[in-house]
Amino acid sequence: MEKGFRIVPELPIWQFDVLLLILVVLFAVVALSIQNLMGAAVVFGAYSFMMCLIWAGMGAVDVAFTEAAVGAGVSTVFVVSTLYNTGATMHRRAGGLGFKLFIGVVVTVAGVFLLSALPDFPEWGDTDSPVNATVAPYYILNTITDSHVPNVVTSVLADYRGFDTLLETTVVFIACIAIYSIMRVDKAKFETDEPTIVAAPRYDPGDSLIVRQTSRFMVPFMQLFALYVIAHGHYSPGGGFQGGVILGASLILLAISFDLKFLLRQWSEKTLMLLVAAGVFLYAAVGLACMFMGGDYLDYGFLDPILPGEKDMARSHGILLVEIGVGITVMFSMIAIHINLASNGRFDRGL
Amino acid sequence: MENLIANFNYVIVVILMMIGLWSMLAQKNLIKKCIGMAIFQTGIILFFISIGAKDNALIPILTEAANHTYPDPDIAKIANPLTQILMLTAIVVGVATLGVGLALAQKIYQQHSSFDEDEILENQRK
Repeated sequence: MEKGFRIVPELPIWQFDVLLLILVVLFAVVALSIQNLMGAAVVFGAYSFMMCLIWAGMGAVDVAFTEAAVGAGVSTVFVVSTLYNTGATMHRRAGGLGFKLFIGVVVTVAGVFLLSALPDFPEWGDTDSPVNATVAPYYILNTITDSHVPNVVTSVLADYRGFDTLLETTVVFIACIAIYSIMRVDKAKFETDEPTIVAAPRYDPGDSLIVRQTSRFMVPFMQLFALYVIAHGHYSPGGGFQGGVILGASLILLAISFDLKFLLRQWSEKTLMLLVAAGVFLYAAVGLACMFMGGDYLDYGFLDPILPGEKDMARSHGILLVEIGVGITVMFSMIAIHINLASNGRFDRGL
Repeated sequence: MENLIANFNYVIVVILMMIGLWSMLAQKNLIKKCIGMAIFQTGIILFFISIGAKDNALIPILTEAANHTYPDPDIAKIANPLTQILMLTAIVVGVATLGVGLALAQKIYQQHSSFDEDEILENQRK
């Protein structure tokens, strides 16, 4: 009986929670009041880590995992690579205090209004609240019989609410396209039109042997772990989003520790953008395949003639296919966004 | 007051959202505005996770070993998976939109050599 995780129910954990919640507010204030923008980015990363702990404490392990990979990892890198192409320090400007105080009062009034709704809320941890008592129990009770996926979050993500995830993936794809169309500049045009607007960043290709060798050593393990996260998402926290972000982060690490050219030699611009689209395409194609087999869109149960196992196992495998699609899109859109931000849209060199 | 302690999470949610909103409105720096937007977003995510949490609940992964066995899971002992998946996708979409915001900020910096709103406006008037 003593296998698997068991959390001691009487563990007094709420003090820890309260401490973390207060720390989170402190970190948010520090991240916004600090003058140095690079410092703000780093404090914001720490803020995200604190948030991970809070969410993990409330049982949301998948969300905490995602935030650790995305909020603390990749989004900090995005901010840093934006700052790298511009100026890192923030100019303190006198004045404007009255305006800030005015906004402060407005925001406080709005907050008081929101807080006045507090007594109407179901108490924290109430099992009979509308959120917990209506639709969610269906997923917990039926996930094993429907699709043999013990991780309820994965089965809801990719199966019961498959449309939702499809469109979220599409949003990531569209955001990638948007950044591409904002940032990307034609190299020839750039050289003639606007040669020296950006302050040339200090760039030294051979700066650190230790960083390069360490990342060379770490990247395969990161990628192996990411593949495990995608493949094992049915049984443990993880799935396409988390695995995709870690895969993307491993290649971003290569791009930072070597240089962008090193990355672009293996993954050309064209390949990157094709793969970003390919992930969404795979997801949508699995849905279409279900229709061809006679079912509804994204009803993986109808794929059982071509996937191994009965109807329930077909759903399990369908979830895996879809998660792979999500992983591909997320991975390559993270890389494409990083390259655009780090190289100022020139795709030649950068952070 | 008792209510305040029982719903401490929601109080923090409101505080975080207002910090983010204040930053988006009052800060002049575009990067600070982007960070404020992300803080606002994490406030909302914290709200969703808080309404889905249950007292002494376990993570929503069914195992044979824990208090709930999977032929007959005890719903009161498993955290709500639905709010979690909604927020999981929201985080990834959030980083993509943060990227769009940063890209726009960077493009503005190329034109005006500043992240400061007032300087950008002065530049445009010239």
